[in-house]
Formats: sequence, structure tokens, C-alpha cells
Amino acid sequence: MSTRVPTANFTIGPFFPTHFVDTGCNDLTRVGERAARGPHVLLAGRVLEQAGAATANTIVEIWQPDANGLFAHPLDPRGKDADPNFLGWGRAATDRDGWYRFRTIMPGRRVYNDGRARLPHINLMLIASGLMRRLTTTILFADDPNAADDPVLDGIADATARRRLFARREPALDDGDAKAYRFDVILRGADETPFFAD
Amino acid sequence: MSTSPQPPAYDIYDDRTESGWRIDGYPRTFTRTPDSPRVARALTLTELTGPFGLHRRLRVDTADLSRVRPDGQRAQGQLIVVRGRVCDEDGAPIAGALVEMWQANASGRYAHEYDEKSLAPLDPNFIASGRFVADAEGRFSFTTVKPGAYPVPDSGHWWRPPHIHFSVFGPSWMARLVTQMFFPSDPLNPADRILASIPDPAARDRAVARSVPTTEGRDDALVFEHDFVLRGHRRTPEL
Repeated sequence: MSTRVPTANFTIGPFFPTHFVDTGCNDLTRVGERAARGPHVLLAGRVLEQAGAATANTIVEIWQPDANGLFAHPLDPRGKDADPNFLGWGRAATDRDGWYRFRTIMPGRRVYNDGRARLPHINLMLIASGLMRRLTTTILFADDPNAADDPVLDGIADATARRRLFARREPALDDGDAKAYRFDVILRGADETPFFAD
Repeated sequence: MSTSPQPPAYDIYDDRTESGWRIDGYPRTFTRTPDSPRVARALTLTELTGPFGLHRRLRVDTADLSRVRPDGQRAQGQLIVVRGRVCDEDGAPIAGALVEMWQANASGRYAHEYDEKSLAPLDPNFIASGRFVADAEGRFSFTTVKPGAYPVPDSGHWWRPPHIHFSVFGPSWMARLVTQMFFPSDPLNPADRILASIPDPAARDRAVARSVPTTEGRDDALVFEHDFVLRGHRRTPEL
């Protein structure tokens, strides 16, 4: 096989088509008329740039396991048991105040073959005008972030920075049966969100 | 025991072959780029997997952007075909890759509310964006018009050369690609601050499409070829 260099990434620029954030794209709880299994959660937050300014039209994409921590993907040895009505992927655009919103399923905890568990988590990726490459981070769910253990926390020495990866319960935003969690993304500044090198 | 295939390996992005983070005359690259170094982590199943069957969620379009209806009037501009292949670093095709694209029209205007300052006209016969699924060999093809160049506002005479934006979904969260394709021999290419931000000249060249000789192309359109190489390989690293 030939060896080829990955194509370079560039910014999406200011003109990412509005209709590419399709209707229903930010609702992961169903595919068509078929409902996914598991408790609903509302995930919402603001994407802020330098000086706390809101970013409008930042594209937020998420990828997550189903309610049992499984992925409908050939690489998951338990993938055949994954929820067929859960796609695990969603996309939202921030509004003029920087808000994004998803309705999804609370991701399940999962112990891998090496015996170490991943906390319930949602992978988050940002593409936006001015971001020359995508930024990736992860949203962790735990009752007590200070006592939580997850492999991604290993590389972050600072306890304050580690806590920024945890979603915060926000009952004021609860939507019917969906418990609300808040996760703000600070692109730049004192409270910067940790992003991953990969 | 697991019978699942082994995941490909993913190397950290190589700064020599990727675009730079901060671009003169593009203030948002300064106000949005994080200050702190990005954090290294070991990959687990969640990053090595990714969404399958996105066409169940996202609408897939017809592959002719040059007219709104099959019997409609053609959009203004030079009719072109863009075709190519989605593959990984081993050159293996990514069957079923979802490819999204969007572009300016022939006069350099985007059909977007944020491009309202542009003096260039909109074209009611042009679709300007599309979403396609690569076939079993990773191939895709669509018909459009060549996008026009346009000036970047308040940037000190920086013009964007003709380019098409792409967003590609591969087999994993790691393989996601968001990029731009440029056109060969355009005099604006060398001065484009975005293209020029890639340090490695060969990597810059790979962001430029290949012009297919008219003798090998079509009678009714100029043909450009462009491959997308997504991250991921199975080769043994050099020691």
C-alpha cells in the first residue's frame, strides 16, 4: 500500500451553510420515528472566545456511546448489542448569544478490556470561522468531579482545568423529562477549556 | 475474546503539513485560538469509533449544483466537474464516506446571510452546497460552476482565490476532516494567507486540485480531480 499524507485542515470560514445544521440534527433521542433507549438529557452551553465574547454560528458536533456505553461501530466488540435507534452523533450551531443545545441520551459507563472505565462522556468537536483546525474536547458526567477517574484526566495536571471537563447539573434548564446539564466552551482566556492534541 | 478488527493508528497532527493557527488580517484566528497547549491523551474506543449511517440523519443531495431543477437554467459561470477519492493514509478507499461541500458562486458571493456586505450578485440558479456519499471505491463526483475570487473585508488587499470548502466524515471521530480545495495555477494561490499558512510546500500543493486534460475529460465541462486523505494507517512506524 502507498503511504499518503493526510489532507491539511482549514477553517470552515464564516459561510458554513445554515441548512447543514439540518432540522432535528441536535436531537439524538430518535432516528425518524424510532426512539432510542435510555434517560433523556438536555445538554446546553455557550461557546465563548477571547474576553468572554459570544461566538455565533460555531458548529458543535458530538459523538457518544449509547445508554449502555456501546457504539454501533465495527470496532466495538459489543457493537452488535448497541441501540439501533441511537446514532450517537449530533450537530448544532451556536446562536447569536453563543448558545448550543442538544437533546440526547445519558451516555452509559463502560469498562474496557484493560479494566479501566471511561466515565459517562460525550465527545465534542468545534469548527468555526477563525479555527484553522477542529478543536476536540470531552464532556464528563460524574456526581463528584473531584473523586472521578477517567483516562483523559491523566494528562491534565491542574485540578481547576480538570473540573472544566465536567458537565454541571442545571435544573433551571430542565426540559420536561430531560434533566439539563451545562457545558460552556471557553476557546481562549483565563478559564480556557482543555482541548486535546489528537 | 474480541473478534473485532484492530483499529488503525492515528498520529498527532503534523504542524508542517497542516495550516497555521493564526493568520494576519483574520482577527478571529487570534481571538478564538486557545492559548494553552493542547493536551495529549491515550485513545480509547470512543475516539476510534464514529458515526455510521449518517445518511439516515442527513439529507443527501443530487450531484448537480449548476441548476436548481434538472430542466432549469444553468447557473452563471464556468461549468466544472469535481471528482476524486476519499482514502486513508494507506491509500485504502473509505467506502460510504459522507462528503459535504459549499462554495461561492461564479462572482465570488456566498448565499449566506453573513455575506451581505458583498457587492457581488447572488445567482438564483445556483445551489452552492451539496452532500454526497462516496461509493464502494471511495469515489465521489459532482457538477458545479467554478467559484469566483473575493476580497476579505478590512484585510489590506487580501483576496481569497477560488476555492471549495469540504467537510468529510470518515470511519472514526479521529478521521474527521474539514478542508478547502484550491484550483491549479491560480495567480492568487501563492498570496492566499490561508493556503500559505501550511509550512510544507508539497502539502500546500496537495491542497490544489489537478486539472484533467480536456482530451480526457468531458465535452461540456472542465474536470478537476482531488483526493481526500483521511487520518489513519496500519503501517508500522519507522524506528
